[in-house]
Parts: sequence; C-alpha cells; structure tokens
Amino acid sequence: MPAPAALEGLRVLDLTHSTFNYAGKLLAGFGAQVVKIEPPGGDPIRHQPPFQADQPNPETSGRHLHMNTGKMSIVLDLDAPADVAQFRALVPEFDIVIESRGSGYLAARGLGYDDLRALRSDLIMTSISHFGQTGPYAGYVGAEIVADALAGYLNLTGEPEFPPVKCFDNLVEHQSALQAAVGTMVAVTARDATGEGDYLDISATEAAMFLLGGPAQTFHWMGMKAKRNGTRLLFSAPDTFYPSCLRPCLGGYVHVHTNTRYPDLMGVLMEQDELNDPEIMATPTAHADRIDELMGRWLMQHDKFEVVRLGQAMRLPFTEVLTPAEIAVDEHLKERGFFVEIDHPVAGKVKQPGAPGMLTGTPWETRRAPLLDEHRNEVLKNG
Amino acid sequence: MAKALQGIRVLEMTIAVAGPVCCHILGDMGAEVIKVEEPMSRARTPMHLPKPVEGAPDHPYNRVVNFNELNRSKRLLSLNVAKPEGRDIYLKLAAQCDVMVENFAPRVVGNLGIDYESVKKVNPGIIYVSMPAFGKTGPYKDRGSYGPGIDAMSGISHLTGYPEGAPGKPANFFCDQNAGLHAAFAILTALRHKRRTGEGQYIEMSMLEGELQAVAPAIMDVTLNGREGNRVGNRHHWYAPHGVYPCAGEDRWAAIAVTSDEQWQALCGAIGRTDLAADPRYTKQADRHAHQEPLDDAISAWTKDLEPYEVQKRLQAVGVPAGAVLQVDELFSDPQLQHRGSFAWADHPELGPFPHTRTAWISKQGNYGVTPAGPTFGSANDRVLRELLSMSSGEIDELVSAGVTSYEPVGGGEGRGH
Repeated sequence: MPAPAALEGLRVLDLTHSTFNYAGKLLAGFGAQVVKIEPPGGDPIRHQPPFQADQPNPETSGRHLHMNTGKMSIVLDLDAPADVAQFRALVPEFDIVIESRGSGYLAARGLGYDDLRALRSDLIMTSISHFGQTGPYAGYVGAEIVADALAGYLNLTGEPEFPPVKCFDNLVEHQSALQAAVGTMVAVTARDATGEGDYLDISATEAAMFLLGGPAQTFHWMGMKAKRNGTRLLFSAPDTFYPSCLRPCLGGYVHVHTNTRYPDLMGVLMEQDELNDPEIMATPTAHADRIDELMGRWLMQHDKFEVVRLGQAMRLPFTEVLTPAEIAVDEHLKERGFFVEIDHPVAGKVKQPGAPGMLTGTPWETRRAPLLDEHRNEVLKNG
Repeated sequence: MAKALQGIRVLEMTIAVAGPVCCHILGDMGAEVIKVEEPMSRARTPMHLPKPVEGAPDHPYNRVVNFNELNRSKRLLSLNVAKPEGRDIYLKLAAQCDVMVENFAPRVVGNLGIDYESVKKVNPGIIYVSMPAFGKTGPYKDRGSYGPGIDAMSGISHLTGYPEGAPGKPANFFCDQNAGLHAAFAILTALRHKRRTGEGQYIEMSMLEGELQAVAPAIMDVTLNGREGNRVGNRHHWYAPHGVYPCAGEDRWAAIAVTSDEQWQALCGAIGRTDLAADPRYTKQADRHAHQEPLDDAISAWTKDLEPYEVQKRLQAVGVPAGAVLQVDELFSDPQLQHRGSFAWADHPELGPFPHTRTAWISKQGNYGVTPAGPTFGSANDRVLRELLSMSSGEIDELVSAGVTSYEPVGGGEGRGH
C-alpha cells in the first residue's frame, strides 16, 4: 500500500489571488485538501494572460493552470451575508486559512483572525500582503514593482548607467507565497506539539529583502553601499576574481565564471595569453572591461551550447542563458520528467512545470487546476 | 516560551548560499542546527572585516559578515569527514539527528561515505535532503555552477532587463534564497509525515526546478501558444502606466503602478493633469497600454522635482500604488520596516548587535527568533563531542592532534572577508 501523502488530512481554505496562489499550490501538491474561495467572476488570476490560443477564458489562463494545481474551487461573495455565513460554517472543519485580500478586508466582514479563531480555536491563519497588516504602510495600495522598490531589490537590478529595472513578472509576490507556505508549515509543526494555532502576517516587501542576501549587512558593518552593477557581482575589489557575468557569444548569451582554483584555465580555454598576464590575474576586477574584450574574441566564435560544453569540460562553471522555449524542450529536464502533461476539461492536454522538489517517500502530485466553482456541492454539503 | 521547532535537530553539511539559507530558517524557528565545517575550510585571517566589539577576543575568522548572516542560529562543528575517524563521528551524530541537509556535487557525499544509504543504515528515520543545482540525475547533474549561472538557465536572466538591451541579473541572485525556502518547506512537510508514521525519507531539491516555478507564466506561454517571451523593462504586460520615474537627486527613483482605470483618474489629479484624465485616449487600461510614452513623460515631469518618499506619500494618499526605490542604507530607517522589525538584531559575541534579515513573517505566537550566540568557529564541538557523543577530554585531545577536529581554523591564510 502506498504511503499517505505527506500533508494528507490537512484542510486549507485558500483566499489568495494572483501569484499569491503559489502557497496553496505547494500545500495541495503534497496532499493537503485546499479549497479556493473565489469571488464572483473568479480569482483575478483567471483573467490574466497568457491564455490558451490568446482567447481570454477564466479556465485557460496559463497562470491559473499552473498556480492552482491540486485545488478545489467554490465561489463565495464575501459582501453577501448569506455567503459570509456559509464561509463561517466551513471554518470549524479546516486547519488553515491563507488569504491575500488586504489589510482589514476580512476583519471588516467579521472574518478576521479573532472572529475565525472563535469558530476554530487552533486555527492557523496566514495573511499575505505587499507591506504587512499593520504599520504606516498597511493602508497602502500594493503592486509587485512597489514591493520590489521598497525592499531595495529593484535598485540593485539593472545597469549602472540606466534606471533600475524590475525582474521578470511577479518574482517578489511568488517569494512571499513561498515564505507563507514555509511559515504556515512552521505553525503546523508548533500546533502539533502544543495544540495552539497562530496568525502569520507575511510582507512581500520583506520577502524581496530576504532575496537581497547580504548587501544590507555589508552596508551596516562595512559602510559599503551596493549599487546595481549590470550582470557583474554587486561587490568586488580590484583583486576579486573575474569574470562572473553574462556575455554575448555567437547567437546568444552565456554566464561565464572562473574557477578560482585554476585561474589560468580561462586563458587556456580561450587561447588568449593576455588573460594570463600576471597583472590581469592579480587584479582581475580592475581589468574587467579588458577581460570582456579578450573573452569576446573566443566567445563570438562559439554558440552558447558549445561555450558551455567546452568550459564545463575544463571544470569552468559556465552556463547558457536559456529562453523559455529552450527550457520547454530541454533534454535534462525531459530526462528528469520535470514537465508533466495534465488533462484539463477545457484546456485539454497541457504540458506544464511539475514538482518543485522530489520527496521520495511522499511524492508530489500535479493534479489539474479546478474549474470555477467546480466543487460547490462537494464542499458546501447543503449548498 | 518554546520556539516552534524546538526539539528538532538538523545536521548541516552545506557550502555557498542555498543550503545555509535553508538551515538558518530552521534555526531561526528553533531547531538545533549543527553545521559541519572542515578545520581547513576557511581563512584564518580574512580581509575586509568589521572591528571586534570592545573586550572581545580577536578572532578575525569569526567576523566575516556574509558568513554570519547566512549561518545565524547555528553552531559549528569542526570536523574533517574525509578522515575515517571524522566520518565515524559524523555518522554517530547523524544517528541522533532528525534531518540532514547537503548541497555538494552528486559524487561528493558518496566519496565521503555520508550518502543517503550510509546515513540511513545508522538512522532509518532520517530526513535526508540534497540540494543539487540541477538534480542528481540527468545530463547536467555534474555541471559546476554558481547562483547567477543557475538564474541564467532558469529563463529569469533572459526575461529581465531593458527590451533593447542584453539579458539581466536579478540583483544579487534569485535561485539561492528560493531554493533555501523550498527546501525548508519540503523538510517541514516531511517532518509531518515522520510525526504521523515514524518514516524518514530522501528529498532531492533541484535549485533549477524550484526556480522554474516562478518562471512558469513564461513557460506556459510557450506550451500553450508557442510564444517566446522577451524582456519588457519596467513595463507590465497589461497595466499602464507602470515603471520607475526619476526623482530629485542623483540616481533617485520612484516606482508607480496604475492597476485600474480609477487609479489613473486619481493619478492625473495628483500630478495636476486633469486634461489627461479627461482625454478619452487614456481612460481605458488597454488604450493606455498602447500609448505609454506620453504618459510616462507626463509623470516624469511631475516626479523629477520630488523626493522618492514624497511621490510615494502623495500618490498613496489618493490610492495609487507607488513606492520609493530605496537604496540599501535606507532599509534601516524605512518606517514600515522599522514598525515590523524586519531586521532581527541578535547579539554576536565578537561583533555585538548584528542586524539579520528576518524571514518575511511576524506571528502572534512569536515563537521564533535568531539565536544570539553567533556561528563562531567550533561552537558546536563540545555540544557534539562531549554531550551527544560522551567523549572524554583525552579522546577529544587525540582528535585534535590527529587533525579530525579543531578549536580554531587550521592553515588557511588570507582570504576575502565578505
């Protein structure tokens, strides 16, 4: 008999929207029962592109198909007293509520943490927002780029002589949903030990700050203020190793990086004696522009796959700048079975990203995203 | 009050960033984290260091800033696992742990004799986590890589940057914290299974596959429509106006996102351009999206004489998403981050109060927090060798003489301090 799923028996009410849905997806993938509570018309993510064949349809948004795998769906209008009553009736049967409706939204409808805890004493409730539920910015209107800005992450992305540039899509919101999943599981662990629930207040701004990984501490202790530095390392002294950057090659781009143990490998691989000039090797970062030029002679003669093959053969940690289309047909991911084909009643068979990780004893399962209100009868027994 | 993960013991055998991040998260939440490092693994006299706090011993190797940030809430065991006695101690310790985390190239743990099969023999209930860059199988399994190189393979580099420019790099990097968080989530999930069944398991968290979760919207456009996405700078796929706008001062900017037609009307009022508010060419989002440049110019003309925080204040007052593009020093004084205590200050024995970037939540129970002791060299030696493995002083002295453990870094020399 197969083992039960890792999160079997854990029941979650998911009132998140857009990219914040990733938290519930993670819980559902490992076996929790996650019921999406959608507003009339559906979660905004259902109305966000890309759509299959570019035809807007609440069932075929690629974002929805990916971010809501494994969930159930019911529609409840939390501005309608009858639906609020139905929601309250569900709470005692659920372990966890995750939401992203904004500071004060649920409390104004009698559905704040204190209200819900009265219905289920050991409830774990997790709120995700761009800035947090309390504090001077709690009433602010959020957006991905705004959280990115207030975290100091935006200012460090881009070229020094150009404006800061936002990272692709909703990376910050995605990180806040991931933080919410971790925090919620910490609370589940504690609840299993003490019997007590908890309320977690997640800030997307802080999730972006967490991604910074060191510049704030370096400023505090060393007084060194990180500035955006293109694709080179944020901090480097004249004698820091170089390259670590993205460079153009024949028909594409590669990430080039040295092996600091054998500093002469670059020159050998690229047949550029000047790369092994003692002065350049002693202070490579001081000669970064010259190194770029010398590397360019060789890089422009090889396409990215060839650059990486030749570099890796010498233990130089080069990688390709891959495009999404290349990722979708990548041999490595194919051999590992990363992509899965999911059969959806409206979208048909769709190839999409699979597990975020392999738990060999209690495997991840990618089950299709729900249709809007698909599970109404099942969830609302008297609905 | 007991911390959330009190009683859970984690054995960490990791380097670089992703593994350390995973384990400091567990440590911040109250798990006992013992990180193994080789006696020769770090520079004895690194450069670029903060000064020691008055009266503290002068141990430069304990003052490396990034190391302290990434390894807070842990204690360090100095152990040479490549020696047979070191491996023996490692396995005896693993037998008393709930979780082990490693992030070496696939062949390394096998060569050291601390792979899953070896550890499982001494501890069948272990949750054993590997965090390879690309996975332990597949054509790329033996590739060497660093954070920005994994970001490059994930599509994030291709999709980040100015449309007319080259691929970009997400600030410092993205893949490491993303992988650390995913691994922490996987461990907490496996711990629940273990509480219910007693069973441990092997977990493999590929950094690349964790990162592709965030790139999914672009990948889905390929699989649904065969369309290859590209860089859009600070523009948004459907909102407009959307971007960063120049402010007073050098390299100062504010981020603004107009996410509804109502917000557009409010923005026009705030910047004194009621003419634009009344212009039928711009009242609908799709029309604004098709004509962004004149709108960006109008906004820039207003922002250019204002401080970033002033733009934020005036636009948020009328319900328009806006925020200052903060520079790294300003994170310490931003009122919202101060209100939430986004930096967890913990006392380091040789540096004094250290501001650690907290995980992104605060909770009512408050049953977590960075451990104040600081990850000083050899700080877990006595805990492991004397308390957990009941060794005598004589036995420990022999291990020190044999180079199996150490109470200060051996060899080393100069190195970089941050």
